[in-house]
Amino acid sequence: MNFSERRPWFFLLSLLVILPGVVFLILAPGLNPGIDFTGGSSITMQFPEGAGANQKAIREKLQAIGYPESTVQNLGNSTIDDERYDLFFLRTKTLDETEKDVLVATLNDQYSPEQTNTLLSFDLVSAVIAQETVINACWAVLAATIGIFFYVWWAFRKVPRPIRYGLAAIVALLHDTLIVVGIFAILGYFLDTEVNTMFLIALLTVIGYSVNDTIVVFDKIRENVMTYTNRPFPEVVNLSISETMGRSLNTSFTLLVTLLALLLFGGATIREFLYVLIIGVIAGTYSSIAIATQVLVSWDQKTIGKLISS
Amino acid sequence: MRRNARILITIVIITAICGTILGVQKVRLNNLERGSDDLLGLTLGLDLQGGSHLIYQAINPETGGPEGITEDQMKSLSRTIERRVNASGLGEPIIQILGEDRLLIQLPGIKDPGRAKALIGETARLEFKHRTTDVPPKAVENITDDDIVSLKAEEVQSDGTFITDEERNNEVSSDPIETAEALVVEFTAEGFVKFNEVFQTLITSANKSMSLAQTGTLIPPARLGINIKGQEQLRYNTLGLNMYPVRTEIRGESELVVNKFIIALPSSSDGSKSTLSVEDANIKIGTDPTISFEISEGSIDEDIGLSGDDLENAYPSQHQASGAPIVNIEFNERGTKAFGELTTEIYAKQQSSGVRDQIAIILDGKELIAPVVNSPITAGTAIIQGGDFTLERVKDLALLLESGRLPVPIQLIQERDVDAMLGADSLRKSVIAGIAGLSLVLFFMILYYRVPGLIASLSLTIYAMIVLAIFKMLPLTLTLSGVAAAILSIGMAVDANILIFERMKDELRTGRTMLSSINIGFNRAWPAIRDGNVSTLITCAILYWFSDQLGATIVQGFAVTLAVGVAVSMFTAITVSRTLMRVVALTPVSRNVRLFIPTGGGEIEDHVQN
Repeated sequence: MNFSERRPWFFLLSLLVILPGVVFLILAPGLNPGIDFTGGSSITMQFPEGAGANQKAIREKLQAIGYPESTVQNLGNSTIDDERYDLFFLRTKTLDETEKDVLVATLNDQYSPEQTNTLLSFDLVSAVIAQETVINACWAVLAATIGIFFYVWWAFRKVPRPIRYGLAAIVALLHDTLIVVGIFAILGYFLDTEVNTMFLIALLTVIGYSVNDTIVVFDKIRENVMTYTNRPFPEVVNLSISETMGRSLNTSFTLLVTLLALLLFGGATIREFLYVLIIGVIAGTYSSIAIATQVLVSWDQKTIGKLISS
Repeated sequence: MRRNARILITIVIITAICGTILGVQKVRLNNLERGSDDLLGLTLGLDLQGGSHLIYQAINPETGGPEGITEDQMKSLSRTIERRVNASGLGEPIIQILGEDRLLIQLPGIKDPGRAKALIGETARLEFKHRTTDVPPKAVENITDDDIVSLKAEEVQSDGTFITDEERNNEVSSDPIETAEALVVEFTAEGFVKFNEVFQTLITSANKSMSLAQTGTLIPPARLGINIKGQEQLRYNTLGLNMYPVRTEIRGESELVVNKFIIALPSSSDGSKSTLSVEDANIKIGTDPTISFEISEGSIDEDIGLSGDDLENAYPSQHQASGAPIVNIEFNERGTKAFGELTTEIYAKQQSSGVRDQIAIILDGKELIAPVVNSPITAGTAIIQGGDFTLERVKDLALLLESGRLPVPIQLIQERDVDAMLGADSLRKSVIAGIAGLSLVLFFMILYYRVPGLIASLSLTIYAMIVLAIFKMLPLTLTLSGVAAAILSIGMAVDANILIFERMKDELRTGRTMLSSINIGFNRAWPAIRDGNVSTLITCAILYWFSDQLGATIVQGFAVTLAVGVAVSMFTAITVSRTLMRVVALTPVSRNVRLFIPTGGGEIEDHVQN
């Protein structure tokens, strides 16, 4: 398979996946930030199945007791000791101890009159901390990106124009990040899915995986460039991709198997986290084959400018 | 081969050590103690075992912001909170100072985070109270003659029970009945309840003064004054301990509700007989007595608004003249004024009436000490001395006084509470998912890569054991984000093996021998493994550094877990897998090259032909 010739199609496919997300991200309303980034309180509660608790009813209840700005999300259900429960995630303004007690008691009276243990988790983040988290998260992602760039540059110092490898790795990394963030902007719009610290960690995991995957293909290119010095660069890249394809697909497959196992058997609380990883692993595998390498080829063929202008 | 054998033995030993570490719930090496009661003795994070995670911001009372908080203040804050939480029995807190002015408090397994927060956040748990011991008696107004059915003096058994007719008549009883003279007051049902309240007050006060007596503080117990106007006046005081309620009485077969109280008559100095005989008492009482009660509180603690907030400092030292151990206390401006007024008032009363009031110092509702006042103290510094003070006692007292206040006010800025049930559920599900995921991966590896897959599976199992053993020994707290990092690091460990096998396969296809294919395969795969893992380690280092600044323990746990996983995966992929492969290459199995080529290995002929 000649990957290099098809690269416009690869870029187009990526663009088609990224574009809707970016539209949602830029136009409105962007990502739906959780309390980790905005400050406030969040509560996870469970009510026995069939007690009549649903997203709309709970939201109305919260409005009635003075929390009009709150959001409610259904996390699905769980089984504990053979009892089935519906799980709900509520987000409100910062609650103090009394306000929290009142809120929980109100919902308890309504949906779980007999069982008192409905509060699964409670989170509180002050505005100060939230602001710091946002700033630090941005810095951490930026620092990681720069660190990776310099390392790849250094690691490929023996091949001609090593800086391109560093930059191409970063392009692939940003590609994967944009796909995940874009999809979550869409999910946030339609399903109230929010991003929190766990989302950030998942994103960093994706970045780690993406770079790792890219480096494996680059490593093969590095080797082949030295071996076949007289072959044209696109051909060397093609050969390298073919040679590493089996490994790339197998690694992604095993990782996806593990993630799907977690999704099936794991708790409801880390489901969104796993969605990020699954999307990210697929994007990362694709980008290391179709984006990172093809950026190198385009650069080599001096078609980068053409690509941007077209 | 000898080198392989050596490495193989090392691997077996490492595996055995890790297996033992994981197998034993709690490990103890010299003074190093590791392990827990949880899964494999691992330290579980709050999201897996339930609990509370609280971050407080220290506030400079002068500026209202975080500026100018010193390291000493943070340490003192941490110690104070630790003492409070420990003393409350809410469990052992893990307290950590974050950056310069924040405190992270983790309370694993706590059931009632609200109580913990109240305890931690309250600045003043220490109260100074004015204790008066000459409390004037107060009439018990809600008990009147209407509440009383009958009143007479009677001879009762000294254990407070009535002498039954049977016992009285049975003169030949082997044991002479120990008797005492007492008033027997029969109440109406309503009256009994009212009088019982009075009785409970007396008993509580008696118990308090007995327990305080053990710490060296003497306060009189509450007393009940009884006034009987009958034929003559009868009036005396008694303690709660001299009274017994008799709710029911057994008469023959049936049990009767009687609502009686037995109140011992004043006894003679040797305590054997009442100073008043039953007959004399009954004469005085007559046929139609009126009775009234008055209660004298033994002591009253008056709140004067002086608290731990007003205390600047407390430290142990020795008296300049006598060398006796003492506790020094220093008040702030407000405290100096209040303490000055208090001591002046107490001293003046002492001079005029001779009654020595006390200053009760109470921490968390428990009395520490109640010194008396020797002179008015208006300078804001005082010493507390006591006849039985030892060096340890004054040290503890000073510490306790100090712990009554936080050195600086704090504000809750982040909280994460996880119910133990949710934690246990997450843990159980993670374990199931982990086992299922790992099994699937191993199954796939063996199916696809055959013998090398089998070896990779073995090496992955060893990998998992080493990682868990390191977690247990460091110890690293396992959280849900750590689980995520573990997945990624397993992915990378698998990846390293896959890289090696693919390279090996290439070499086998070119017709190399098994052993040289293995060696070249590993060497060729190494740069990719190294570069991939180093870039991951860079990410971990950056994450760790940022989360340390932020106190984001979730992110930090992720970074550390991933770094450990990646480092160990490099070791197992290179050393363990390679050695095992070499050993297998020397066995007859290696002659069947097909067992070493991935599924779809039919390609090998094609390639050779090409």
